[in-house]
Amino acid sequence: MLKVKSVVKTFGNLVAVDHLSFQVEDGEIFGLLGENGAGKTTTFRMILGLLEPDSGTVLLDGKRIDYTITDKIGYVTEERSLLTKMTVKEQILYYGALKGMEENEILKELDKWLKHFEIESYKEKKIKELSKGNQQKVQFISAVIHHPKLLILDEPFTGLDPINVRMMKDAIYQLKKEKTSIIFSSHQMEYIEEFCEKLIILVKGKKILDGELEEIKKSFGIKKIEIKAKDVNLSKLKEIEGVKEVVEHATNLTVFIEREEVVPKVFQLIKKYDVSKFEAVGSSLSDIFIEMVGKSNE
Amino acid sequence: MISLSKWWGRVMNKKFLFLTKASISKKLKSKWFLGVNIFLFVLLVSLMNIDSVISFFGGEFTEDIEMVVMDHTEFDSYSLFENSIKEKDSDFSKKLHLSKTEESYSKVVKEIGNRIFIVLEEDVTNYMNAKIVSDRKIDSMTYQYITASLQEVKYQYALLNSSVDRTEFAKISTPLEIERVILSKDKKDADENLETIMGAVFPTLILPFFMLIVFLVQMIGAEIYEEKSTRSMEIIISNVSAKTHFLSKIVASNCFVFVQGLILLFDSGVALLIKRMLGGAATTEFTKEISTIWTSLATSGFTEKLVYIIPISLGLLLLSFLTYSITAGLLASLTVNMEDYQQIQTPVMLILVVAYYLATMSSMFHGSTFIRVLSYLPYLSCLLSPSLLVLGQITIFDSILSILLLLLFNYFLMKKGLKLYKSGILNYSNEKIWVKVKKMLKKETTKKYE
Repeated sequence: MLKVKSVVKTFGNLVAVDHLSFQVEDGEIFGLLGENGAGKTTTFRMILGLLEPDSGTVLLDGKRIDYTITDKIGYVTEERSLLTKMTVKEQILYYGALKGMEENEILKELDKWLKHFEIESYKEKKIKELSKGNQQKVQFISAVIHHPKLLILDEPFTGLDPINVRMMKDAIYQLKKEKTSIIFSSHQMEYIEEFCEKLIILVKGKKILDGELEEIKKSFGIKKIEIKAKDVNLSKLKEIEGVKEVVEHATNLTVFIEREEVVPKVFQLIKKYDVSKFEAVGSSLSDIFIEMVGKSNE
Repeated sequence: MISLSKWWGRVMNKKFLFLTKASISKKLKSKWFLGVNIFLFVLLVSLMNIDSVISFFGGEFTEDIEMVVMDHTEFDSYSLFENSIKEKDSDFSKKLHLSKTEESYSKVVKEIGNRIFIVLEEDVTNYMNAKIVSDRKIDSMTYQYITASLQEVKYQYALLNSSVDRTEFAKISTPLEIERVILSKDKKDADENLETIMGAVFPTLILPFFMLIVFLVQMIGAEIYEEKSTRSMEIIISNVSAKTHFLSKIVASNCFVFVQGLILLFDSGVALLIKRMLGGAATTEFTKEISTIWTSLATSGFTEKLVYIIPISLGLLLLSFLTYSITAGLLASLTVNMEDYQQIQTPVMLILVVAYYLATMSSMFHGSTFIRVLSYLPYLSCLLSPSLLVLGQITIFDSILSILLLLLFNYFLMKKGLKLYKSGILNYSNEKIWVKVKKMLKKETTKKYE
């Protein structure tokens, strides 16, 4: 279990991380969200022991992060961190050995992972000769080759096509089953929604939102209605109290509302028309992110 | 059950050894290493056997020269000329076919062909004069040999003509014996000949070390830069401390330089062996030269001094290898692109060039206080101090002082540099390097960076 307790990190006058606290349980996938420069990478670096917090503590399984414990952590960086002149085998042997693994153990694991990602034939190829997607797979393998207790994934799906995304997702779920604590960071909110049970949103190093994903979504309630109906009187629709905006699409309408109580009022009006779809939709994570980050930046 | 500290030590030691081994292996297995060493081998063999290489491809200089001498003098000048030419250069005399003719001048000139025709005649006021006749231009080297030999013949001919017999003449020709006496006690070992010899030989001996330091600076810098620019540094430093990483790079680079040095030594040995196998007069000359230098060194008592000159020079070089590798590693950690690294390493290379030139010039400026003071300074002492010691311009104590200063400098460079390295390797800011260093040092003093 990872515990981050009230950590602060400043660079000169800039407060990169401001009293940040969160906890990731064993076998949990935790989302760490924030716009660029929000303090995510600084937080990761503190978890990895690369940076010392000015105050606060980072504990993995109750122990402070130091070089006796970093062997238990895996890290997929946002930018590829591979020595491109090495072959896939050399690279994994290199990172595996740095995690304290023996050569035969690394090779056994490597074969398993290469098979999972269907890139067995690239074992002896130089990394610089691989496609971006395959390089990303190698980077993922290098981060999980030692069965980490904590895995940090920073934009892990970069450069992957849908088939490879599926393979990567399977691998992440497998690690979750093995009780690996996973911190997941991405700007692609659909992945966060799919993976994370809990999340935190950072703005300028400060936590502005945290909790269970379902709870957060519920607390934001229903904010729009998707309608498919013929010849709707848009002026009347806009006149309903609580309707913020009506957006017309090719085949349907999206009605943005202020609160959930507006839904029956809209339905009362719409039912007069030839309706084939009426769906009250909860806020997506993307909507929540934009709303929260937007508010904080105002 | 092993204690935590033992386990920690074992794991870190294992990772340090792994990083060092991986770094050496990466350098030795690279295509560049193989390519550069093949090139260096060919270059060394070619340079040491340059005479054979040039001769192999041939040219006018390899053609035999037929020389016909018409001697009209009283005391067999032909024999004097023949001896003089043979003593000059064995390569030259080998291709020379000298003969004497009694035929008439006009007949020989008509049939001259490729031959050189020389007429030696008596002269009332100047003892003798000579005439050189040829159909075409004689190459300058051959012409110089002929004129120098003729000058000697005239000198000898004049002595013989002045009733000096051959025994007396031989005595006159022996070199002057000089007994050198130096009264000052502290200068009793000084030998002007030795200084001249070492002034010429020592720069050649230190040249390989100059090359090895250049290799060292470029190797360590390139490797650290590669790890930093590919961001793999973040993964590495999250598993081993910056100190372990830095030390592994320093040890690996120095091991690599040691291996490279051995290879250069082996190349030189092979080149010498090839020279010996090819044989020829040049080899004899070369061996003779080495032997003369060695005899001169032995008689002057210099070889006895090697007992302390060699360890002191090696000590200075090894410590300087460390200085240069720490500096190169540190500079590489502070840069974010190759252009910056190339720029920032230029002053280091220039300092090394200064050290090399001062070492080669030290024999010309005997007793220079400026050069002597510079010989104490780190970065310069590795090449300067041994040079001055060999030339007898400084004492063993001066060199030991240089070693102590270097040790002290390395200690502080490592201590302060390691802190900068820790901050630098994960710093990707595009700020000017000196601004960055200033900030890092400031942070260090306020204990915010570790």
